[in-house]
Amino acid sequence: MKAIAMEETMPSVATQPKIVIEVQVQQVCMEYIRGSQRIPVLDRVNLEIQRGEFVALVGPSGSGKTTLLNLIAGIDRPVSGRIIAAGTDLGSLSDGELAKWRSRTIGFIFQMYHLIPVLTAIENVELPLLLRPLSRKQRRDRALTALELVGLSDRSRHYPNQLSGGQEQRVAIARAIITDPEIIVADEPTGDLDGKSANEVLDLISTLNQDFQKTIIMVTHDLRAADRAHTQRHLEKGVLLEKGVLKD
Amino acid sequence: MKYVLFIAKHLRRNRIRTVSTILTLGLCIFLFCTMRTVLQTVDASLRKANDSRLVTRNAMGWIFNLPIASKDKIQAVQGVKRVSGVTWFGGIYKDLKSFFPNLAVDAGPYLAMHPEYVLSEESKKAFLDDRHGCIVSRGLAQEFRWKVGDTLQLQSFIAPFRTKTPLDFVVRGIYDAQTDGHASSDKLMLFHFGYFYETTGERLGPTTYVVEIADGSQAGAISKVIDSQFENSGTQTHTETEAAFEASFVSLAGNLSFLLNALTLAGTFTVLLITANTMSMAVRERRSEIAILKTLGFSNGLVMSIVLGEALFIGVSAGVIGVLLSGELVGKLPDFPIIGDLVRSSQSQGLSLAVAGAGFGVAILVTILAALVPAVLAYRSRITNSLREV
Repeated sequence: MKAIAMEETMPSVATQPKIVIEVQVQQVCMEYIRGSQRIPVLDRVNLEIQRGEFVALVGPSGSGKTTLLNLIAGIDRPVSGRIIAAGTDLGSLSDGELAKWRSRTIGFIFQMYHLIPVLTAIENVELPLLLRPLSRKQRRDRALTALELVGLSDRSRHYPNQLSGGQEQRVAIARAIITDPEIIVADEPTGDLDGKSANEVLDLISTLNQDFQKTIIMVTHDLRAADRAHTQRHLEKGVLLEKGVLKD
Repeated sequence: MKYVLFIAKHLRRNRIRTVSTILTLGLCIFLFCTMRTVLQTVDASLRKANDSRLVTRNAMGWIFNLPIASKDKIQAVQGVKRVSGVTWFGGIYKDLKSFFPNLAVDAGPYLAMHPEYVLSEESKKAFLDDRHGCIVSRGLAQEFRWKVGDTLQLQSFIAPFRTKTPLDFVVRGIYDAQTDGHASSDKLMLFHFGYFYETTGERLGPTTYVVEIADGSQAGAISKVIDSQFENSGTQTHTETEAAFEASFVSLAGNLSFLLNALTLAGTFTVLLITANTMSMAVRERRSEIAILKTLGFSNGLVMSIVLGEALFIGVSAGVIGVLLSGELVGKLPDFPIIGDLVRSSQSQGLSLAVAGAGFGVAILVTILAALVPAVLAYRSRITNSLREV
């Protein structure tokens, strides 16, 4: 795997911390093919996300938010352009290498939770660890710790259909953090939740960012959710608009 | 190993579908193993049949009688050593449950051309001297606790052979069936054709003539000569080797091997299609889950292996069930009519390791073939496409 140093030193102020660019999107274009039609989705998108930053990608439906998120997370490949994430040029990786990279680097949270219905909560959380050389006990212990972190250790033996939407999403968050990834991508994590559950989930995501210094990239329609982010980036018809506000 | 639990959980998702697929395939393997065993037994029996014996029967079928006079004509054919009339009497002893094959034969020549029936000289003489006498196999004697001198009665279930009163017999000898090198039955009774002929009104000739020839390599030529003797008569004949006759007798009509093989193949192919459909359904309804696995870092190859692993689990389970069931039935084959005689006379009884292995192999092969297309589709599926369809 090709590691690329992306450290940039901010202007020489002795007290200012070193800023590390976690994600760099350079001139990325993306299109989908439907029949004989080529549908452009992203048009020369450039984006930089710092390590430990919490970024919200906002914009109307069909603006390319999820597509950009998928490209950053390495589950799709751009038509052109370059994406460097966690020090790796994703374009230089084979499919197998990309899968390995995802398992180590990215934690995923989806709108529809996407838990495996035949597995219990703890088994769902444990799933990414099957790819690691860990004993069954080690996997179980870590999964239980992750469930404790999201406040669901008492529901570890429950199946997804025995949990509420908010609880399912929290299990999904536990699954996302079980491998201790550098980056967490969240696609409309509150889109299917009521207000209270949505707040709980957003609190958790904020905790992951603030207390565990995870880089969070979140796609959302929800303005309250977007407000939790340091930065909001707007996409409009596949074009990334000017940089949003970096909150303190 | 760590994926086994994961695979097992997926198979439990739709238990009825999984169990019915396993049972369907298991049934197919059961049929495969059982039919292969039956065919092997028949083949083994035919291989043992004596080439130096021919069987002449009515060209219309072996249930039709031949004239008594035909015997002398056959005997006169060059290369023929001995001729014996044989009629399958179909006599019932007590009731149908205790049925055993019983043949009316020209005792002298018949015993002379069947060295596999090992009988003491004393018993042989006693049998030949007594028109009501019969000889029974050791197995039959043990089953009915007969000893020399015991009497028994038989009444045929075949209409033309039925008499007002049952035929009386005296056991004059108990023979041992020597299976080595010859087809032989361990449950058979032989009695005099003359006695049968008298009691049925002297109008029914034998249904077959067993012909011993001097040179087995001349079987084809001699058969043609025998049949040509009756070409322009009212009762045309069909002569063939004992092996061919037994084959046609076992298969009753037509090619049993072909039929059984075709049935097995058709059954296996049908199950292949059913399993392929089941596996396709199982993978199709889990497209988003497969996408999630890939998202979490499961490689395409690993996802494909998991799908194939599920198929393998089904194949192994079905193979075990099919082989066990077949083993049970094959163990009971000796009790079946006709085929039971062949099984008892064969060297090895029970399900052979080769057939069990083949059955198990077919189960694995069918499920792997059935899962191949869904597995490749799972391998090739794109995460974003699958997630978008949710």
